[in-house]
Amino acid sequence: MRQWFILFKKECLESVRNFKWLWIPIVFILFGIMQPVTSYYLPQILESFGGLPEEALFDIPVPSGPQILAETLGQFSQIGYLVLVLAFMGVIAEEKNSGTQLMILVKPVSYGAYLTAKWAHMSLLAVTSFILGFSFAVYYTHVLIESVPAAHVIKGAVVYILGMLFVMTLILLFSTLFNSRAAVAFLTLGLTIVVSLLSSLMPNTMRWSPGMLSSHAYSIFGTGEGGEAMWLSIACTLLIISVMVGIAVYIFRNKETASHSS
Amino acid sequence: MNLITAESLTRAFQSTVAVDGINLSIKEGVCTALLGPNGAGKTTTLNMLTGLIKPTGGSIAFDERYHGDRRQYIGYLPQFPKFYGWMSGQEYLMYTGQLCGLTKKAANERAEELLTLVDLAEAKRKRIGGYSGGMKQRLGIAQALVNNPKLVILDEPVSALDPIGRREVLELMKKLKKTTSILFSTHVLHDAEEVSDDIFIMNRGKVVIEGGLAELQTKYQKPTIYIETEEEPDIWCRALKKKEWFRHMHLDKKQLTITVENINTAREELLADATLHKLKPLRFEVVRTTLEDLFMEVAKK
Repeated sequence: MRQWFILFKKECLESVRNFKWLWIPIVFILFGIMQPVTSYYLPQILESFGGLPEEALFDIPVPSGPQILAETLGQFSQIGYLVLVLAFMGVIAEEKNSGTQLMILVKPVSYGAYLTAKWAHMSLLAVTSFILGFSFAVYYTHVLIESVPAAHVIKGAVVYILGMLFVMTLILLFSTLFNSRAAVAFLTLGLTIVVSLLSSLMPNTMRWSPGMLSSHAYSIFGTGEGGEAMWLSIACTLLIISVMVGIAVYIFRNKETASHSS
Repeated sequence: MNLITAESLTRAFQSTVAVDGINLSIKEGVCTALLGPNGAGKTTTLNMLTGLIKPTGGSIAFDERYHGDRRQYIGYLPQFPKFYGWMSGQEYLMYTGQLCGLTKKAANERAEELLTLVDLAEAKRKRIGGYSGGMKQRLGIAQALVNNPKLVILDEPVSALDPIGRREVLELMKKLKKTTSILFSTHVLHDAEEVSDDIFIMNRGKVVIEGGLAELQTKYQKPTIYIETEEEPDIWCRALKKKEWFRHMHLDKKQLTITVENINTAREELLADATLHKLKPLRFEVVRTTLEDLFMEVAKK
């Protein structure tokens, strides 16, 4: 456990020194602020761009608070995930390809600890960035539009975080499987999109899937209650995450650390 | 007492057999060299001993007195050590020290000790990214020693260094020899002869020759006479082939190297040879060959 913590601390220090702890939270904060602000000022923005044509005689409704929060999560699920994937696609491959991994794993270091420390760190950074960004979104929604009950916000955010952890675990698993970062990024983003698409297209067959979590979060913001079968998808996501971490550790242990030099 | 014993150790990759059923026994308190041309399977062998590569056949046994994970007792320096460029030398040693189970305080002390040993004390706060090749190599040796290993495994520790760096590392290895066992690989025979006690010569995945350095030297070294003359000696030297002490000869213009059976008779007869005096000898020297011939012979096979 002490060793795990040392590995974890090293990951944190590394991300501080290469500024991941700076720019990833900043991206989330920017998008967190932007969503409520642009929704609120949309009419003025349109006006300044020349306004709508005369025939468009409808009022642009100001969205409700829960709606804004849901849209913010939508942004996080696109830009946010993209940023996280780009930041962490080399989480294992980078050290493997550069050879630094070799010098650590030849020490009496547990392969499982090495891997889970990396996973814990990237999840911590993702969740922290999310919490920061989302706090700004909630604050500006509260100031500009309407306040959403704190309990709803927190409950919804927790459900959404679980979905985030699922994506982070996907990055970890693919990163242990493939040495190419492009493959890791492509597969993680691709699979995330497929899962969420399938979940919105056929919510009944996909009721268990991690892709359902964001729609449960939306519904919690509005009503305080998740949609149907929320606990099923929460339980399944937790299970999938632990199985994927397990598989990643298993593969990592059995994969050759040193490659055959030519 | 053997620290590591490997029996019929084999490692096959898809199409090639990199290591083919070798037997190794590394003795405690001894500096062992694994010598061989590039591609002989040295790195693969070392990686199997450290546990970074799993053998496809054979077994590796570490000394029974040291039980558990054998990585605890091994320090390893890969051929191309790669560090976290964003750490300082001191941070890296503390990090690896703590990974080996030292407390923060002990790791700090150990780091200071090692930095002084490898002469990096002044650069300890500098980022490793800014270290020179020689400094990285020395830091690599320091990190291999961080857990006070029973066996230090160094993969080509001097090959990539300039003559000064090379000398520094060889001196360091001589210092280390006194306190720990060393196993190192090299393709340079001269380095092996300089620091090692035991030698295993590998080629094409097999151990071709093994033994103590002294033993191999008496067995394979041939006494040699080196003669340099002003006149061309090639007619004269043809006659030498009939002498009973003659073994082998190499003539390069006016430089003649003769490998002989019995150095004393050969010397007496040659010095008494009047024809040789007429060739105006510039140099007459009795030398001992290194194991070079043996190594070349083995490597060519």
